[in-house]
Amino acid sequence: MMTSAVNHYFGSSIGRKQLVAVSGLLLCGFLVSHLLGNLLLLAGPDAFNLYSYKLFALGPLLYVIEAVLALIFLVHMYLAVRITVENKRAAGKYAVKKRTGRGATLMSVTMPYTGLVLLVFLILHLINLKFGTMYTTTVDGIEMRDIYKTTMEYFANPVSVAWYCVAMFCAAFHTAHGFSSAFHTIGWNHPKYYGKIKIIGYLYAILIGGGFAFVSVWAYLRGV
Amino acid sequence: MASTENMALNLKIWRQKNCSSEGKLVDYRVENVSPEQSFLEMIDVLNEQLVRKGEDPIAFDHDCREGICGMCSMVIDGKAHGGFKNTTTCQVHMRLYKDGDTIVIEPFRASAFPVIKDLTVDRTSIDKVMAAGGYVSANTGNAPDGNAIPIPKPVADEAMDAAACIGCGACVASCPNGSGMLFMSAKISQLALLPQGKPEAPRRALNMVYTHDSLGFGNCSTHGECEATCPKGISIEHISRTNREYVKAAFTYHEKKNAGGAS
Amino acid sequence: MAFNLDSKIPSGPLETKWKDYKDHMKRVNPANKRKFTVIVVGTGLAGGSAAATLAELGYNVLSFCIQDSPRRAHSIAAQGGINAAKNYPNDGDSVYNLFYDTIKGGDYRAREANVYRLAEVSNNIIDQMVAQGVPFAREYGGYLDNRSFGGAQVSRTFYARGQTGQQLLLGAYSGMMKMVAKGKIKQFNRREMMDLVVVNGKARGIIVRNLITGELERYAADAVLLCTGGYGNVFYLSTNAQVSNGSAAWRCHKRGAGFANPCYTQIHPTCIPVHGDYQSKLTLMSESLRNDGRVWVPKKENETRKPSDIPDEDRDYYLERVYPSFGNLAPRDVSSRQAKFRCDEGKGVGSTKRAVYLDFRDAIKRDGKSTIEGKYGNLFEMYERITADDPYTTPMMIYPAVHYTMGGLWVDYNLQSTIPGLHVLGEANFSDHGANRLGASALMQGLADGYFVIPATLSHYLASTPLEKVTIEDNAFKDAEQAVMLQTSKILGIKGQKTVSDIHKELGHVMWEKVGMSRNEAGLKEAINEIRKIREEFWHNVNVPGDTGNFNLELHKATRVADYLELGELMALDALERQESCGGHFREEYQTPDNEAKRDDENFTHAAVWEYTGQNSSPIRHKEELVFENVQLATRSYK
Repeated sequence: MMTSAVNHYFGSSIGRKQLVAVSGLLLCGFLVSHLLGNLLLLAGPDAFNLYSYKLFALGPLLYVIEAVLALIFLVHMYLAVRITVENKRAAGKYAVKKRTGRGATLMSVTMPYTGLVLLVFLILHLINLKFGTMYTTTVDGIEMRDIYKTTMEYFANPVSVAWYCVAMFCAAFHTAHGFSSAFHTIGWNHPKYYGKIKIIGYLYAILIGGGFAFVSVWAYLRGV
Repeated sequence: MASTENMALNLKIWRQKNCSSEGKLVDYRVENVSPEQSFLEMIDVLNEQLVRKGEDPIAFDHDCREGICGMCSMVIDGKAHGGFKNTTTCQVHMRLYKDGDTIVIEPFRASAFPVIKDLTVDRTSIDKVMAAGGYVSANTGNAPDGNAIPIPKPVADEAMDAAACIGCGACVASCPNGSGMLFMSAKISQLALLPQGKPEAPRRALNMVYTHDSLGFGNCSTHGECEATCPKGISIEHISRTNREYVKAAFTYHEKKNAGGAS
Repeated sequence: MAFNLDSKIPSGPLETKWKDYKDHMKRVNPANKRKFTVIVVGTGLAGGSAAATLAELGYNVLSFCIQDSPRRAHSIAAQGGINAAKNYPNDGDSVYNLFYDTIKGGDYRAREANVYRLAEVSNNIIDQMVAQGVPFAREYGGYLDNRSFGGAQVSRTFYARGQTGQQLLLGAYSGMMKMVAKGKIKQFNRREMMDLVVVNGKARGIIVRNLITGELERYAADAVLLCTGGYGNVFYLSTNAQVSNGSAAWRCHKRGAGFANPCYTQIHPTCIPVHGDYQSKLTLMSESLRNDGRVWVPKKENETRKPSDIPDEDRDYYLERVYPSFGNLAPRDVSSRQAKFRCDEGKGVGSTKRAVYLDFRDAIKRDGKSTIEGKYGNLFEMYERITADDPYTTPMMIYPAVHYTMGGLWVDYNLQSTIPGLHVLGEANFSDHGANRLGASALMQGLADGYFVIPATLSHYLASTPLEKVTIEDNAFKDAEQAVMLQTSKILGIKGQKTVSDIHKELGHVMWEKVGMSRNEAGLKEAINEIRKIREEFWHNVNVPGDTGNFNLELHKATRVADYLELGELMALDALERQESCGGHFREEYQTPDNEAKRDDENFTHAAVWEYTGQNSSPIRHKEELVFENVQLATRSYK
């Protein structure tokens, strides 16, 4: 019955859940850095473009970082989909809808759906912004991509802003459950701390979702 | 909401001849239900009526009727054991319902719990998980004095919290994922907390989780439905401890092949 | 046929009998153990511990349970605790003291050697259970905690919250599961034993019904261990679980096993009173509650005030009054009877006037609510769930209910019945509790039998008995199966007017009124007649719908009730023949001026062992004289 313990880990429900949890927490970290970057929009085009330029100046290292990030995304998504399918199969089929809500929350039961929205968002986000219109500008005598302009153009469209806000609402919803759940899954549910972790998770969700949405609305109101 | 007068109730009960046939909800009406009656006694009365008519009574599991054997099940109005705090179905009393209520009764459902007949399901998967490691390998006769190893009271108490699991399977029936993590983790956690259980804690965690997964139970998504439903109030903290025990075991436990000795 | 009632008690001083037995018993060598198969029926404390231990030793074990899992056996419902003579509290306890208290508690109607052995191994049970991860209650220093129980003046009861039976059973069950995983135990769930198969005078197999499919199955083995608990459900209402039944023991009796002291029934003093005729069971409130709760009734008949409004001078704390030295911790039989006397005097409380108060007011005042909650929280919750009364603010109402049967199949020192190879463990046998069992002793006995006694005595049996090869194709198996089939089809063919429960309730009523807490000659004779009439009615007017080929719950109930209708009569007959009062058997004709049980040691210091002689002939009463060499027979006094 006992295969090699490590193989065992990756084949097990707990192992998979923990990978989803860890990748999720890493993505949470990425979102923080991304938001901090976005906040530079408020500081004006030069600051934002310079930030982008410096990132690209990392050269091959950036590709490695991007590859790792992509890998984290893929692991998170693949395992989450797999777990969702397994769970659907394992769950009982009731003739009359089973009442959840004594433990489960709207956040927890919608995880697969908010996740799916975020996946769609991510793809569109890459197309519209990262691979969006290429403008160039010169800051301090250096020619660089004017990603500020691309971004502000994108947010000039109220439909884009609305969609962006919806997606960010989903991100908040997703992380509101995901953050504390990840700690639980890793094994850090201790009665002394778990309540606080939950609160931090909710604060995180509000700050991240609200922060991104705020920037998009600010950009829309400011105009191109 | 508590009733003091006798009442009449409409029941919709899942009837299914055996595991391979289709089932459906069937309507029944019971009159003159006393609020002092237990839920199962209400079904007893209905069954007596069915028998008098020469019909097949409703099959349901029950035994001790005092909330400890874990035999009674039923999902009542969409909630395992009826959804009353720290209460098994046999301890649900009719004073919690009122005249004219319609009550839907289904079996505990999960792919790991196939229906045997009506409200009776097969829960041997719970025994299988236990057989995979839910024990301390202490053969009779080995034991040192009971006081040889002091166990701090809070640890003993927490182990007891986990050990209170009655193996009813309500956690599985109420979990949106059909996961058996709560009952499994209750045992893993109990034995991981106690010094007597520690020597084989890693092996236990690995084997029980493996068996749990292979029996078709789902994953834990930290919804917490299990904890809310558990008639013994077992906390999902034990799942978290299990996760911890498991990851530790997966990356550090090593057993030499052909080392001899224990098998 | 004369029974061989040789108790096979080893010679020598009481203290060394068990050691000498083990020193000189015959053994089966490890390589040969795997050639033997043992059937264990029942997976409670006795069956579970026996199955696990025998499998560990190397025997092949076939284990049967009636529920869907071995973990559900009714031992699980024991709440209060388990006794052992550890003397951890330093209150002067010893093996001898535990032995003495048990003999005295049983009103000098148990076998000295068995009880001494029980007290001796009690300590090993605690050690074994701790090693298996049973989370017994502990003090802050990390050491095991004790409390006291009825009939003892020391604190020797170990406990795990209010769930001691559950924790011990899960310990035994986990041991079983370990051996199931190793393939040494084959576990059969949802099987009910329908008959014992005797080949060449030895128990060699069983017939069981697969409760799901309805099919009969045959299993052969070298020995059969019956661990099927007691027969309290004869009374319809008892604290027993719904499927706890006496059929396995009764069918063994009909195959030649002597039934000892069937009239010894324990009525537990602290149960939630009866209400309503739909009631299916009585719920026990642990005896441990009497450590802190005070039992009382109003001094006035027809008291109408709320209990909390009745001042102390109008309350009769009758246990403290009548038994000043044991007070609220008087043994069960004595406490139950006193409750009955008070209610008979018209001082009962509650809507039916068949209840007394168990009050925690003073304990809460003394120790604080949180201390009481820590000790009994789950019991209080359970009480509130059932009655909707909060015991923290209003006293509990309790009344005695049938709880345990001290009687059972006769066994010798080796736990072997009058049928060679049929060993009987736990509540199913008669051996250790005499006429009354003390609290926290049932768990002790079940585990003592299973963990420590049977592994030795069964080895002795297997090593010293020639066992012919037997297969399930032998005629004895076919005949036994045929007999069960015939009975089944007879029951299914009646299709009368009454349900099985109707008839069971009628039987229960007769048993409770006439063979219950107090008995008299006229009542017992009436009971015998009435039981015969009910039996007659059962066989002509019961209605069991459906057929055998499926999960037919009514049929399962019917076969059990058919047996109760015979066993109930034997209980009444035994009570009639035992013309004395002892322990739980109280004959109104034999009492002291202050209403205490009056034994007749000259004529009744024996176990009555009944021999079945057939459907239409009277059973024969044999005697096993009880010899007391170490204890002075005295009038039991708890004053």
